[in-house]
Amino acid sequence: MNRDWTGYALRRAGQAVVVVLLAYVFTFVVISVLPGDPVTATLRNPENGFSEEEIARVIAYYGLDQPVHVQLWEALSRFLVGDLGVSLRSDRPVADMLTEVLGSTLALAGTALVVAVVLAFGIAFGAQYLPRPFGPALRAFPSLFLSVPNFLIGLLLIQLFSFQLGLFRAIDADSPTATFFAALTLGIPVSAQIAEVLIANLDHESRQEYAAVARSRGLGRPALLLRHLLKPSSLPVVTVLALTVGELLGGAVITEAVFGRTGVGSLVERSVAMQDLPVLQAVVALAAVVFVVVNLVADLVYPLLDPRVSLQAGPERGVAAR
Amino acid sequence: MSTSHTARRLFRIALGLLAATVLATACSPGAAQTGGSGEPRSGGDLTFLIDSLGDTWIPNNSAISSFQGHVWGHVTDKLVYVDETGAVSPWVAQSWERNDDATEFTLRLRPGVTFSDGTPVDAAAVVANLDLWARGRPDEGIRPIGLFPKTYDSAEAVDPATVRVRFSSPTLGFVPTLGYHGSILISPATLARPAADQADLSNSIGSGPYVVESWRDDDSVVLRKRDDYDWAPEVSEHQGAARIDTITYKVVSEQPVRTSSVRSGQADVAYNPSPKELESFQAEGFTTATPRYLGFVNGFAVNTAAAPFDDLRVRQALQHGLDREEVIATVYTPDWLPAESFLQSNVPGATDHSASFAFDRARAEQLLDEAGWVRGADGTRTKDGTPLSVTLHPNPYLATSTAVDELIAQQLRAIGFTVEIQSFDVVTYTQRVEIGSVPLYEVTRSIIDAGTVSGILTDADNGENWFGVGQSDPKLVELASGIAGASDPAARDVQLDELQAHVLDQAYFVPITQIVQRIYLQSPRVHDVTYNGVAYANYYTAWIGD
Amino acid sequence: MTVSTVSGSATAPRGPDRAPARRVPAGVVLSFLVIALVVAWSVAPGLFTAQDPVDGVPADLFLPPSAEHLFGTDHLGRDLFSRVVHGTSSSVTSALVAVAIGVLSGGLIGLIAGFLGGLVDVLLARFVDVLLAIPSFLLAVVVVSALGFQTINAAIATGISAVAVFARVMRSEVLKTRSAVYVEAALLLGGSRTHVLLRHVLPNASRSVLQLAVLHFGLSILVIAGLAFLGYGDPPPASDWGLLVASGKDHPMAPWLVWAPALVTIVTVLSVNRISRWLRTTD
Repeated sequence: MNRDWTGYALRRAGQAVVVVLLAYVFTFVVISVLPGDPVTATLRNPENGFSEEEIARVIAYYGLDQPVHVQLWEALSRFLVGDLGVSLRSDRPVADMLTEVLGSTLALAGTALVVAVVLAFGIAFGAQYLPRPFGPALRAFPSLFLSVPNFLIGLLLIQLFSFQLGLFRAIDADSPTATFFAALTLGIPVSAQIAEVLIANLDHESRQEYAAVARSRGLGRPALLLRHLLKPSSLPVVTVLALTVGELLGGAVITEAVFGRTGVGSLVERSVAMQDLPVLQAVVALAAVVFVVVNLVADLVYPLLDPRVSLQAGPERGVAAR
Repeated sequence: MSTSHTARRLFRIALGLLAATVLATACSPGAAQTGGSGEPRSGGDLTFLIDSLGDTWIPNNSAISSFQGHVWGHVTDKLVYVDETGAVSPWVAQSWERNDDATEFTLRLRPGVTFSDGTPVDAAAVVANLDLWARGRPDEGIRPIGLFPKTYDSAEAVDPATVRVRFSSPTLGFVPTLGYHGSILISPATLARPAADQADLSNSIGSGPYVVESWRDDDSVVLRKRDDYDWAPEVSEHQGAARIDTITYKVVSEQPVRTSSVRSGQADVAYNPSPKELESFQAEGFTTATPRYLGFVNGFAVNTAAAPFDDLRVRQALQHGLDREEVIATVYTPDWLPAESFLQSNVPGATDHSASFAFDRARAEQLLDEAGWVRGADGTRTKDGTPLSVTLHPNPYLATSTAVDELIAQQLRAIGFTVEIQSFDVVTYTQRVEIGSVPLYEVTRSIIDAGTVSGILTDADNGENWFGVGQSDPKLVELASGIAGASDPAARDVQLDELQAHVLDQAYFVPITQIVQRIYLQSPRVHDVTYNGVAYANYYTAWIGD
Repeated sequence: MTVSTVSGSATAPRGPDRAPARRVPAGVVLSFLVIALVVAWSVAPGLFTAQDPVDGVPADLFLPPSAEHLFGTDHLGRDLFSRVVHGTSSSVTSALVAVAIGVLSGGLIGLIAGFLGGLVDVLLARFVDVLLAIPSFLLAVVVVSALGFQTINAAIATGISAVAVFARVMRSEVLKTRSAVYVEAALLLGGSRTHVLLRHVLPNASRSVLQLAVLHFGLSILVIAGLAFLGYGDPPPASDWGLLVASGKDHPMAPWLVWAPALVTIVTVLSVNRISRWLRTTD
């Protein structure tokens, strides 16, 4: 079993590395399909009035006059030794730019994850155990959460809690309160997904025989929940959580724009507007690394948590059967 | 997107009352400065919310940015000062003279000016800056300053306080260009660094009234005042160190968040609010400023090489078909002015030619009829089966451009045009929309000296050939070369007037309104802000009241 | 045990968990009515409003909602209700394009991988892994930046970001059906692979894919609106719902410019989600 597990872990880790590399190449290919780069764009700003010859010399400095495959090869060989290159927009090392913004996004995504889990468990338990009409009404929440555009939630929260109630300064984006409301914006759709799974699993488990037996022995509902239903119902949440990590990073683009936060998401937004290829490649690779690592850990830990899942099922679950 | 109307209204009333009592004189219209009330005082911190802080911080590459220019304006000084009327006055250059044919200039520098690292702003430093502005180091990714005279030959330090600059041909525009937003004085030590180092703002050493205390890419820049600063422009009423302790430029990309933050007292200044909001803010006691830069008006450079605009009558129909009053009433506020020429009316040498392109829908229709464009049943005009159509490309450098173009599309449809709007983001725009490649190019461009217009008229001397006429219009060629080679300002003004009349009579240019590219919404507690010739707000003289 | 996916696609508990729904619930009927109205708006907008969505009356700008202007007027004095109705077609079409791209390319990849197996499966699985590893909204943003900022490109980008999910579901459904006794029997009896594929595998797999497709229709509307919010949509005078919300937010003194199109969006997506849920519980 142990050797199996190690072999399996190594194989999955190898796959993960390949996926990250391919994601890096994929981004390059997608962006290079069409012409256009930030250097040429700013050079052609009519306020400048540069001659074609001046423009050509600057373009050559950035290596943007090279054929595409040469550019890709250079980017890839740099990436393999850990060099993320230099931003075409800001002229600064991409690694520096990323490390600067990473903390803020981690704080946001981390808080959002906690908010989402708390919210989801609240909704799911409420839906199970609150009396009518509250319990059944709560069942509609995940669906509602998934129907409201994310930016609208954010704009509403700012308007209400910052400008009307003055709970936080909208421009002091990194304060704990502002971070909380940004995380709430980001966490709401994620919580809906977790809540859906939880509600379904709680429904399922509470209809199982063992639950009926426990009830017949006079176990109260809360006690039943805590002692018997909670663990089997929440284990699948681990997998869902791992899958939503990517969503948190993607959603950060909009949330950070709405809340004026400086993070990976806002970096993406700026870089996309200017087609800053090295930065976009690095962010996509980073997101892929996070996603792959989190899922790898979830898949490797899962069999240890839940004895019902055999290793055999592990890889299947991890790669295919979602 | 409010929820509680009552709460908001109460809040507004409270703010309005407060503002009215504290500051009865607030909110003068137009580009006027804030009238001060009470005595100026030192101290306090100012927060300025801005849509973006641009891209790179390499001084040469970023100095003309509409965003970073705000920071550079406080961290650096210039050789001369140009105010919002285009008047040039001494700053780091105490005086200057030129030879008769305007090919050689001598600048005499003010003594005692130092960069924030203690080194002097002497002739050697100025020469290093001039060389880099003119030529850049393109092979290292450092660009020249756009619009710096291409006739630049060389500069030399005659003695520590005297610089001599030579040009290959007459360059009357040189001295005004030194007050242009690109011409910022940076320490030679900074300039010697490679591009990657220059991109780190904390390496940029200037001689301005503020120094960079800290910065975060795309997030914020914090400036702290320099206590030993003592070389403000001569015309400045205030001298010595600045009054406000720190200025924080904070990026907030959402426009409603910027303005609501100022409204709720969380920040002092919001950049680029929507023009239509200004009146409601004025009513609540907030200060608004809509300074005009020196440059071209907002309007279309018409490509006369492309049908249907190769026909003078169609071009004139375009001029008479635009209802500029409606544009101002719908998109802007009365603080905006209709165009009087293709130059903003505050540019020295600009003259009023508004009669030649006044709104007259009947006249426009008549011109199109005469040109053979017949109205069909659906109201659109055609000629030999070809529809009278045009595509507008809103200029991404002007925030209101899309709304203006939507309205203009509506006005042109009224006289029978088929109009499409194709808008692009900045990157794509620069790829796909170029002067000459589109029939109507929407102009926004600042120039500090009217002499530079000669470079856009024809294709002689690598000219930009805005109207696609090449050198086929002898009168245009004559005026262009006359203005470019002028060495006498008075004679040049006569030619400039003639040029404006000619360009507008030929309908090469279709003016819309005068441009306000930089709009400010400001808390009433901030006083005595100044705006220079390129419409940047400067807080050197400003102070914060109660 | 059951694991539901991010998109809520997979096997939610069935059978004894929920009583089979014979009667269509009132909420579902209402949802279908909403969708019918949306479809009608997009097919024949002229029947629902007589006002011009493109040219306004500049003097009437920023009028609040009233009997004459149900949703008020915008910054050029155009009737917002008319713009919402006329923008429906573009919003619906772009979401359909996104779903079509996801279903067709994702479905094809999943089908081939699952049916052929072996090396093809391994290679395609890696490709799908790459797509999955990039957060879908990030992927959509990157793709739309490469294609250019237009609504149709946003739709394509949204579709591409959904390919991986569809490929996964299709593949696992194909694997499930393939191993079913009757399919193995058909193959053993010498049925041609194409025949088996078309006759047995595809129809069986398509049920889960359909559910997922309906769900993704609603999701796509939101994603495209999100892209429009970031400025990656059509130029004016286009009036997709997302564009209306995005441009409305710049006029805080006219809150109806945001709330009217936002409510239309929310109600539509809610209805679609309700229908998808109903489909899931009634198979």
